[in-house]
Amino acid sequence: MITMKIKISLFVLAALMLVSCKKKDETDTSPKTGKISISFEHFISNQPAIVNDYIYTNAAGNVYSFFLVRYFISDVELYKSDGSVVKIDKWTDHFYVDTDIPHTLEWNVFDEISIGNFDSLSFRFGFSDTKNQSFMFVNQPESNMVWPEELGGGYHYLQLEGKWIDPNGIKIGYAFHLGRGQHYDGSGNPVPPFIDNSFRVSLPNSAFSVETDKTTKLTLRMNIENWFEEPHLYDHNQWGGDIMQQQPAMLLAKENGWNVFSFNLNNN
Amino acid sequence: MNISFVKSKIGLVLAFIFLFTSCKKKEEEDIETHNPTPYSLEIPHGFPTNVNIPDDNPLTVEGIKLGRYLFYDDRMSGKADQGMGMSCSSCHQQAYAFDNPAGQGTGTTSLKTKNTVLPHINLVWNPGTYGWNGSVASIEEDVLLVIPDPTEFASTWPDVIAAISAEAMYPPMFEAAFGSKEITPERIAKAIAQFMRTMVSQDSKFDRVLRGDDNFTESERRGLVLFTTEEGADCFHCHGAPGNPLMTTHLFYNNAKDTIFDTSSDRYSVTNNPRDIGAYKATTLRNIELTGPYMHDGRFQTLDEVINFYSEGLLYSEYAHQLMHKVFPPYGNGAMLNPQEKADLKAFLLTLTDTVFINNPELSDPFQK
Repeated sequence: MITMKIKISLFVLAALMLVSCKKKDETDTSPKTGKISISFEHFISNQPAIVNDYIYTNAAGNVYSFFLVRYFISDVELYKSDGSVVKIDKWTDHFYVDTDIPHTLEWNVFDEISIGNFDSLSFRFGFSDTKNQSFMFVNQPESNMVWPEELGGGYHYLQLEGKWIDPNGIKIGYAFHLGRGQHYDGSGNPVPPFIDNSFRVSLPNSAFSVETDKTTKLTLRMNIENWFEEPHLYDHNQWGGDIMQQQPAMLLAKENGWNVFSFNLNNN
Repeated sequence: MNISFVKSKIGLVLAFIFLFTSCKKKEEEDIETHNPTPYSLEIPHGFPTNVNIPDDNPLTVEGIKLGRYLFYDDRMSGKADQGMGMSCSSCHQQAYAFDNPAGQGTGTTSLKTKNTVLPHINLVWNPGTYGWNGSVASIEEDVLLVIPDPTEFASTWPDVIAAISAEAMYPPMFEAAFGSKEITPERIAKAIAQFMRTMVSQDSKFDRVLRGDDNFTESERRGLVLFTTEEGADCFHCHGAPGNPLMTTHLFYNNAKDTIFDTSSDRYSVTNNPRDIGAYKATTLRNIELTGPYMHDGRFQTLDEVINFYSEGLLYSEYAHQLMHKVFPPYGNGAMLNPQEKADLKAFLLTLTDTVFINNPELSDPFQK
């Protein structure tokens, strides 16, 4: 019986040691990380964008409707208060957003993000020229964003579509598409090198914190009307329905894109 | 505590466990005895890696074989003995990329389908929006629907089951495919769907050029440029490009061919979204040379008519898709292609014809051996 008691005591002791060692290990080595998710919302004049209705007027005075928007963002960088930079690139370094596909409106980022306070974030709208490689997407819907080889290849950064009412009262489709730009020779043939129209979006007022084992929910809002107004007035009557082969129009889009997005923190 | 009572309890528990495990073993053995041969679908160069194969209907060699026989068997109407035999292949003919050169389908009672028959090309990549308006969620569902459809088989499933069951070759084929000789509508639908998912067209000249095994002629190359540029014919936004070799987005568009719309079978009839009034699927352009007449109602008989329509025949309505931006009254009604451009565009479209596909013996009528 006494031997039995000794055996039990030894067993308990060993178990205690094991547990305490494990605890110590966990305390010392477990990474201090949390998660982030990014929701995408699309507003016009400070309200969620309403599809189909001709209820909007842009800065150039065009009455227009909004039907859909599709785009890529890539190379997201999170700027920590200690000066370090966290890049989102572990599983994927880009995300596709499509207002017709609800599951694309939230990006549950795979990366483990080191905990702490972050001052801001930035991302590339579209893809850098290095990353914008033809045939890198084989599956739809991303492959539907293909940008023609003749025009430089790769993928559309943006497809923003709707209609506007022209001076004759005709409702004309606008395909406000952004991707690689082209120069043309005298015969109208595109001439390399093609132009990288992607751009970085910096959101200085985008402070948030990441806590251990929690998901911090961020929201990126596209303020659609801003594509058409600052610093350049964009007039659909001037540029017409299609701009993929009009680099001056795509340049306006690129330069207007700087303040299209705003940031919200939503930890409800 | 009475030890013998405890022992008897333990004995009972053990007996139950033994019984339970032996029953489970028997089930497992039954499942193990049905071991169809998995069929590995080869993903062609540049094609999507995401395929639409339901978890409850994986491709098997035995299932595909059965589906092929059923696809071509005119006893599938359940009325062959009344002189009204019909099979899937009655309308979906391999020589026409599994489309119907007559346009609309004609059912066993001579009624016609509302819209033209669609080809069976690369359906394994369809995201679950089959038919002109995308109302059908799976190939299996489509098979289940066509039997009672008065414009198609106009039959009943009991009659079909009876007709198929009466043919001696089928029960063993069902057993090989599904584990028992039972013939049900669901199993018939699954087998046919498996076969249809093997209808892969990937060996046209267009494909060979993409693989680096062939070259476009100058005219074909110019046609591709017209196809993929907004200042050209701007076909690619809806119908794909080398980077989207399915040659369809699988989306729905009102392509500006009408001003008054019958909304009974368009995309609007599915979504109730006004944007979808008069919208139909942008069908794949693979084998487009073989799949006329064209449009949902078959209004155009030839590719030349189609090209002329997109060049100067577009009609303005407020429902025309926003990508149909070449409808710009009073300034234009289309891409305004000159004769050479039309010829070039057609030359490119003809590179999408896949003669290997339409002659593939594995997709042919097994009764014609």
